Amino acid sequence: MIEFLRRGAEVRPERPAVVTHDLTVSYGELLAQAEVAATRLAALGVDRVAVADHEAAPVVALMAAGSAVGVEVCLLPPDGAEQVLDLIGRFDHTVVVTDRDDLPESALPGGVRRVALGALLAPGDARFESEPPARRPHLVLTTGTTGAPRGVRHDWGRLVRTTERIKPAHDERWLLCFGLHQFAGLQVLLHVFAAGATLVGPAPRRPREGLDAMRTLDVTHASATPTYWRFLLAELRADGGAVPTLRQITLGGEAIPGPLLGELERTFPDAQVSQVYAASEFGSTGSMRDRQAGLSTSVLERGDDADIALKVVDGELWIRSRTGMVGYYGEPDIDAEAWRPTGDLVAVEGDRVVFLGRSSEIINVGGVKVHPLVIEERIGAVDGVDLARVYGRRNPMTGQIVAVEVVASAGADTAAIDAAIRAACADLPSASRPRSIRFVDEVSTTGSKIVRREAQ
Amino acid sequence: MQERVEQVVREFVSRVKPEAGELAADTPLYADGAGLDSLEAAELSAVLEDEFGTDPFQGETMPETLNDIVSFYATA
Repeated sequence: MIEFLRRGAEVRPERPAVVTHDLTVSYGELLAQAEVAATRLAALGVDRVAVADHEAAPVVALMAAGSAVGVEVCLLPPDGAEQVLDLIGRFDHTVVVTDRDDLPESALPGGVRRVALGALLAPGDARFESEPPARRPHLVLTTGTTGAPRGVRHDWGRLVRTTERIKPAHDERWLLCFGLHQFAGLQVLLHVFAAGATLVGPAPRRPREGLDAMRTLDVTHASATPTYWRFLLAELRADGGAVPTLRQITLGGEAIPGPLLGELERTFPDAQVSQVYAASEFGSTGSMRDRQAGLSTSVLERGDDADIALKVVDGELWIRSRTGMVGYYGEPDIDAEAWRPTGDLVAVEGDRVVFLGRSSEIINVGGVKVHPLVIEERIGAVDGVDLARVYGRRNPMTGQIVAVEVVASAGADTAAIDAAIRAACADLPSASRPRSIRFVDEVSTTGSKIVRREAQ
Repeated sequence: MQERVEQVVREFVSRVKPEAGELAADTPLYADGAGLDSLEAAELSAVLEDEFGTDPFQGETMPETLNDIVSFYATA
């Protein structure tokens, strides 16, 4: 990471690296901050820190500083103080970097030191300008399918290796729609700085603010979850304002409904639409630009030389990744040559690998296994539906039934939508038809608006 | 309460089995009566739970008629 800032600052130090509504930080300025912070990080005498702040520019500088001196940085999610303290305990942190008022030293557990982010990043003369060490850990927290947080150990050396094919693109301005504590946010960060491009980081990172940033901060590229894009399209329809001029739309983080690709294509006719299949554990498998749902079956034919290879085993996608995680926190390193199940259920249909859902999300209706994604796609295509979440609802008759929560468009007739959803699913097998339709203001989500399909 | 229960059940049967006609209080809900299958009964269970907070299908004895459902809520 630090190498990207050094390269960017060497080429043209005044070029903007991070832009928000309040400030613009150039590559030269960001590198200076990172190298000064690196010296101070090393002086702390610890090999890992947790970070509880989230503004893009200082957090990027701190991540680069960590990558320079080999101090593991773990960005905590933007939760309340109680949850943050829980994570500090779970992951055995002894140093917390933050300027948050609700996390004073007195609130931290015994033996945990608070270091002010502002103090680490304050201007100084002692810059760390040496080559980075061989081992450069970075810890990403994930909520996991069970809801219990896990630490995914990465190494900057491996992460940087994934960017080798990225070409310089200094005029690109990428919107940061993910948190930098998320692996997807980290991927955007790597892509932007490997390309010498500009990161546009509004706060908070919701679709409404994202749409505003697209319009006012000259965003050209954006990567977000399908859920984020659906909300952004809904915001766009609701406010009737100008459609941003995007050159690149990237989707990832969730299975991607086919109808959404079409809607994005119609709304942003000049944008290239790509899909990324990635996860915190195995990294990114690359992007698909053919505007079709799922992956090309060519991903199954990459061979032994590829850093990332995929295969289908009993309807589930398996992966071998040499650029993925080193291992989970508290567990031994994994074998980078070993094949691992992804938990994504797929079917090969013609030349496509089509996603059916997560193995943990299958709905069991009286012994019949139902994949929620297919139903979600149908419902998502119904007029007036902004977002749908299909899940298994407990039921005394059949164990589970297919249930759906629907976020309707503003002013839509919910009775008409209810009838349209039932009509759209009428030809599905009986067990797959939604038996419970509820209209809600928002679906159950994680912090990044990722739809969760847990049995209720 | 009784009227509301009858209305909810009749509206449900009317939606999923329009060919069954007006549901009498003692008409069997399944098979040769209204003709609800197991999944439609499961759906009715969810509809009743959403509307009234509990549903008669949770008990040991499955309701056979509209009367059974009305009785469940009358004694709940």
